[in-house]
Amino acid sequence: MPELPIPIPPLPTLHESVFMAIALLTVVGAFLVVAARNLFHNALGLALTFFGVAGVYFVAEAEFVGVAQVLVYVGAISTLITFAIMLTRGMMYGATSPLNRQAGTAAIIAATVFVVMAGLLGSLPWPVAEEPIVDGQIVIANLGVGFVTEFVVAFLLLAVLLLVALAGAIVLAQDRK
Amino acid sequence: MNNASLELNIVALAPAASMVIFALLVMAVDVFARGTRTQPVRAATPWVALLGVLVTAGVCVWLLGQPVTTFQGMAILDRYSLGIAFVVLVAAGLSILVSARYIPRVNAQVGEYYALILLISAGMMMMGAATDLIVVFLALETFSLGLYILAGLRRSDAMSSEAAMKYFLLGAFASGFFVYGAALVYGATGATQFEQIAAMATNPATDLTFIYPGIALLIVGFGFKVSLVPFHMWTPDVYQGAPTPVTAFMSAATKAAAFAAFYRVFLVALPSQQAVWGPALATLAVLTMTLGNLAALRQSSLKRLLAYSSISHAGYILVGLAAGSIAGVEASLFYLLSYAFMNIGAFAVVTLLEKQGEMDADGARLRGLGQRKPLLAAVMAIFMFSLAGVPPFAGFFAKFFVFAAAVQGGMSWLAAIAMLNSAIGAYYYLRVTVVMYFNAPDAETVSEVKSNWPLNVGIGVALAFTILLGVFPSLWTTLMESGVVTALALR
Amino acid sequence: MVPLTWYLTLAAFMFCSGLYAALGRRNAIAVLMGIELMLNAANINLIAFWRYGVTPVENVDGQVFAIFVIAVAAAEVAVGLALIISVYRNRKTLNLDELDILKG
Repeated sequence: MPELPIPIPPLPTLHESVFMAIALLTVVGAFLVVAARNLFHNALGLALTFFGVAGVYFVAEAEFVGVAQVLVYVGAISTLITFAIMLTRGMMYGATSPLNRQAGTAAIIAATVFVVMAGLLGSLPWPVAEEPIVDGQIVIANLGVGFVTEFVVAFLLLAVLLLVALAGAIVLAQDRK
Repeated sequence: MNNASLELNIVALAPAASMVIFALLVMAVDVFARGTRTQPVRAATPWVALLGVLVTAGVCVWLLGQPVTTFQGMAILDRYSLGIAFVVLVAAGLSILVSARYIPRVNAQVGEYYALILLISAGMMMMGAATDLIVVFLALETFSLGLYILAGLRRSDAMSSEAAMKYFLLGAFASGFFVYGAALVYGATGATQFEQIAAMATNPATDLTFIYPGIALLIVGFGFKVSLVPFHMWTPDVYQGAPTPVTAFMSAATKAAAFAAFYRVFLVALPSQQAVWGPALATLAVLTMTLGNLAALRQSSLKRLLAYSSISHAGYILVGLAAGSIAGVEASLFYLLSYAFMNIGAFAVVTLLEKQGEMDADGARLRGLGQRKPLLAAVMAIFMFSLAGVPPFAGFFAKFFVFAAAVQGGMSWLAAIAMLNSAIGAYYYLRVTVVMYFNAPDAETVSEVKSNWPLNVGIGVALAFTILLGVFPSLWTTLMESGVVTALALR
Repeated sequence: MVPLTWYLTLAAFMFCSGLYAALGRRNAIAVLMGIELMLNAANINLIAFWRYGVTPVENVDGQVFAIFVIAVAAAEVAVGLALIISVYRNRKTLNLDELDILKG
């Protein structure tokens, strides 16, 4: 068998194939969000992306974050956005373009940012191949301990933030004559 | 994670905690009043909120004498965080006075309004105290979320709700940049705590590829919050559309909070990269000052005029950071304080010029104010002179200290451009005065000016300190030095 | 094992898609969806950097940050959609090109 001029890259491992499949799903979802004309299709794409991102977290062995992602993003945020789209139904696109006047500039900016970021990745000396995490439970235990020790300030602040959101909901929603 | 030494110094969180407690108290008062339908009790909510501001100010004065304490490396109590807390308290206190008779006309949820002001202030204080990117993010979101709501307080008004939505979309957009930037800095250094970031950034083994895009994205994120050009486009719309007391609070307090974290991130976590961000910030400062001032020249609405003026003031304050020195930080702190007094004062006068149910006042309404309301015109003139940087008012020393810090930091060219800009700025501030004194009143200006005593007290306090800080700027420096702590705990 | 650059490329792609949607779309809800993409991209970065950190088991900062971002995003979307709907009630449109009463 003659020698090929280019060495054949090694076949992707199972792990890598799973990641690729999930990443493809995520990218398709993101593309739907950006490109579909109908707002409902955008929202479906967004839900797909959220699922894909949760999958990425599972591949990275961050199961807790993955579950939180499914619960909050897929369960709550997608639903909220869908509700908002239905409440403002008149806005779903008909003949007009979904893009504004500066969409061309926006595309150029986004493409430039991507090229710069991808270019930086190319020069990345990051040889570390990660070791599989043997005991995932310890990670979750450390997370829990972290929330009530090291990150307790952040935790308290989050409580204040939710209080702000609650008070805000009253201000924005309730009528009192 | 370092659990070996738990440092749970609640003292480091005391100012913010005190504000949250009073916010809950305000809500409780409101709820009990609601059951009995007793108007006098409900009318008490602003005064409970004001009491909270005063008590917290007392706590801060007491804390000035305390040593620097940190809370798990996440938050710190030092002269700088207390200075920011004072600025936020000034803004909150004055805004409560300005709001007392204004807000009931705008939204029925009066109790929640004051609770929100206090909660937002707590978040802003945490911006000054945070020493970790996670805490900065949460504090940023806490106060931003509250401000989106306050901007849209007048729900049935098209301008107010449009302003709130624009503010929300651009604010959330900026958060996206901030988090992405923070993630890249975390990736490069493996840490979110400022001291660890600083240590890793100077470690030769660290690969710094990601830190530069991280810095760039953080600048974009903060740039939106403090409205630097070219991230300023939301500012005039939001300032114009939001209820005027909210605009007043937003303009002074948001600047203080966002600059507080901006300074600490760059001077404590990333001082090793100053060669990168120093020139970038200097460029942004020049752009911001110049474009802000030039745009302000063309405004007819008073609120838009003050919005563009606030953009240019953000540029002046940024000069202090670009200098990258302790002197620059202290000068900026003084600037933020003076700005709180003079700018909220100016907005308070604008609320007096608005007609019933109106959310903005046209510059033409000032015509002949000098003849109709000589006292009010004189007060407005003093605020304008101070904003322009005319001695002997607070704004003069604020500018003087910042420019001096820039010269000391070897950025004389920046100071020169800033001075040139003050001259441009002086034109439109003085034009306001000219309109008040040298134009005859006409049909547009006949509307009668309805004042009320809380508002008058607010204007009086703002006026007193605008003059006092201009005549005795050492008042503030002495107060801050009465603590034994060093600014920013810089080494 | 999946290389770090894969995660980061995916994140960069999502961030830039979100950026394009946020800057280029007309509808306020579509802009909000773009912003959510940007936040998710940042979260992927956080998780990837956590995973490739020196001690991913002991040092969970990246995961903690990601969880806080998720929690904040939920509150932010709730408030934001309330504001967007109140605009819709007043103006019967969410087209950002038409929402322009605030002009100098």
